[in-house]
Amino acid sequence: MSDSKQSVPFRNPGWAGNTGEFELTEEQVRGDDFVGTRPPDGGHPSVSTSYPYMKVEKEPDAPLFEGAYQQRFEKILSRYPDRQAALLPVLNLAEELRGHVSAGTMDEVAKLLDLPDAYVRGVVTFYTMYNRQSVGRHLIQVCTNVSCNLCGGDEVLAAFLEHTGTEPGEISEDGNFTVIEVECLAACGFPTAVQINSRYFENVTPQDVPPILERLKAEVAASSDSGS
Amino acid sequence: MGYPYSHEKEVRLISRGFGDPAARTLDGWKAMGGYEGLEKALEVGPSGVIDEVKASGLRGRGGAGFPAGVKWSFMPEKGERPHYLLCNADESEPGTFKDRELIRWLPHQLIEGCLIGSYAIGAEHCYIYLRGEFFETTQVLARALEEAYAAGYVGENILGSGVTIDITLHVGAGAYICGEETGLMNSLEGRRGLPRVKPPFPAAAGFFKSPTTINNVETLSVVPHLLTNGGEWYRQWGTEKSPGTKLFCVSGHVRKPGNYELPLGFPMMELIEDVCGGIRDGNELKAVIPGGASVPIMNVSDCLECSLDYEGVAKAGSMLGCASVIVMDETTDIVKQVRRLVQFFSHESCGQCTPCREGTTWLTRILSRIEDGRGTEQDLDTLLDLGEQMTGTTICVLSDSAAAPVASSIQKFRDEYLALIRRGERVGAA
Ligand SMILES: Cc1cc2nc3c(=O)[nH]c(=O)nc-3n(C[C@H](O)[C@H](O)[C@H](O)COP(=O)(O)O)c2cc1C
Ligand code: SF4
Ligand code: FES
Repeated sequence: MSDSKQSVPFRNPGWAGNTGEFELTEEQVRGDDFVGTRPPDGGHPSVSTSYPYMKVEKEPDAPLFEGAYQQRFEKILSRYPDRQAALLPVLNLAEELRGHVSAGTMDEVAKLLDLPDAYVRGVVTFYTMYNRQSVGRHLIQVCTNVSCNLCGGDEVLAAFLEHTGTEPGEISEDGNFTVIEVECLAACGFPTAVQINSRYFENVTPQDVPPILERLKAEVAASSDSGS
Repeated sequence: MGYPYSHEKEVRLISRGFGDPAARTLDGWKAMGGYEGLEKALEVGPSGVIDEVKASGLRGRGGAGFPAGVKWSFMPEKGERPHYLLCNADESEPGTFKDRELIRWLPHQLIEGCLIGSYAIGAEHCYIYLRGEFFETTQVLARALEEAYAAGYVGENILGSGVTIDITLHVGAGAYICGEETGLMNSLEGRRGLPRVKPPFPAAAGFFKSPTTINNVETLSVVPHLLTNGGEWYRQWGTEKSPGTKLFCVSGHVRKPGNYELPLGFPMMELIEDVCGGIRDGNELKAVIPGGASVPIMNVSDCLECSLDYEGVAKAGSMLGCASVIVMDETTDIVKQVRRLVQFFSHESCGQCTPCREGTTWLTRILSRIEDGRGTEQDLDTLLDLGEQMTGTTICVLSDSAAAPVASSIQKFRDEYLALIRRGERVGAA
């Protein structure tokens, strides 16, 4: 199956766009303008609530919620008929801030929303995107579902595990990476689809894995340089 | 335009603007005739809107194909409880990747569709439920929605009409079952995404027990065009029973995978051979799943005469679903792919119904055993028997969906199962 990519006529390492028919740049398809930057804190409450954004640097001990996060929390509450309906967006916000949703975080969220602790735990465990344990600076999720699988998804997963030196779900020694398998990402026409933190990487082959990891390491270095 | 490839046979109504970064902005959308449909809607009134949508024959694009105009007409008169429109952007059916493209290239088209839909059913609040993984996609939609609020298309007193409609983006957290309409409502209420027993139907008691309509992204994206051009106009494409165009998501072993907007009724083989450039490496076609992971698998002879409309695919023994055409060539290990699909359903089962919870687990175990060369012929009968018990016996159709690829693949590719069972031989294995 390793030959499966040869006949795909376009190759942009990591994103799909410029096929010869479309003269698009990466910036135009998925530029920093709307990708990888933090969601706006301001704006209309209907719009700027909470997206499951994964930061490179997580702050597991940050308070729930202060400053801009407190404002976003209040905006979220204003968009629903009751507090319970705000649970998922509020958990998303907590995960954005802390990088994972620990049992302690669940209880804090329960208090904030006047819900029973056990209820919140029941909801959190239903959804796969709440990491209950901490993860690496970059969470790499490789799709191995059918369309990607037909085009070598299993090999891409294996390559990520090999090059990060991890088992699924583990944090790499340098703290940079956690690799897991994920179900269909709705990018099946661009196999193999990989989600890394909040970004989609498309048309990924095993050969693309080392350069992608280099790119991610450079981003970690840049973010610690700028002190954020 | 289709994206990432286009083809001259495409009819680009809702995909015009794919691959054009300018179309994402309010100005870009207006230059394409955007928000004219909304103005028209406000002129003709809610019942006028429903009439146009009914006249078009537009069928729901989320999988079931229920006529959208008829669904809207089920909504009761305005009463004490608020009405809601929910837009289903949870897109997670394996093989399906159209809603993400619709949102990230033409966010205003969806916003306009949500506004017209809300107006038609008397809703003052619409929630767009996006799957949690769609951070980038949501960010694009958020920018567009911010623009639309600022320009007075959304919010209070839209275009001076006195009508109020809010649109809120709501992002899920990773669960396929939240795409099922009542599971989505539970999830939106801050619960586990468990599907509900029907009745009551959503139009009677849906989101927070209020009258609710739920539509797919693609369905709502068509609506502005029906208002601008009239419902009858849409019928110039497609068939009598399946009017209009549809985005076909083609993935797997074709040379040019991607989204193509084609009239319903388009021949399956022409889609694969011509539009998508044929099978990779000059290989032979082996199997097609025509409608996303939950529909029966087809072999080559099923495909030859198959036309891609709801009735045509049903005649060929499968379902059009969301028109997610997964193409497999001769090197494909059918047993492995079916096992992978069933494993998906087992992972995503919400666990409420015994036939689904236990059945998906058992199917996965038995298929893995066969895949490893440790199966028996008896296992095939067990699989079929299990599949039967899982069909028509549960709250939602996820259970039926898990059984469909198993039963159909045993029927169509029995030799491949038998080869594995008898000699431990596997197609495509190195
Ligand atoms: C298990 C399951 C998953 C579903 N997932 C989706 C989905 O991701 N997106 C979607 O639009 N519809 C999905 N549906 C269909 C919805 O229940 C519903 O029929 C659809 O959103 C209605 O919209 P429409 O009438 O515009 O097609 C799913 C159904 C089931 C049973
Ligand atoms: S059929 Fe499966 S997914 Fe659907 S409600 Fe029952 S257990 Fe849940
Ligand atoms: S199967 Fe991989 S993104 Fe859909």
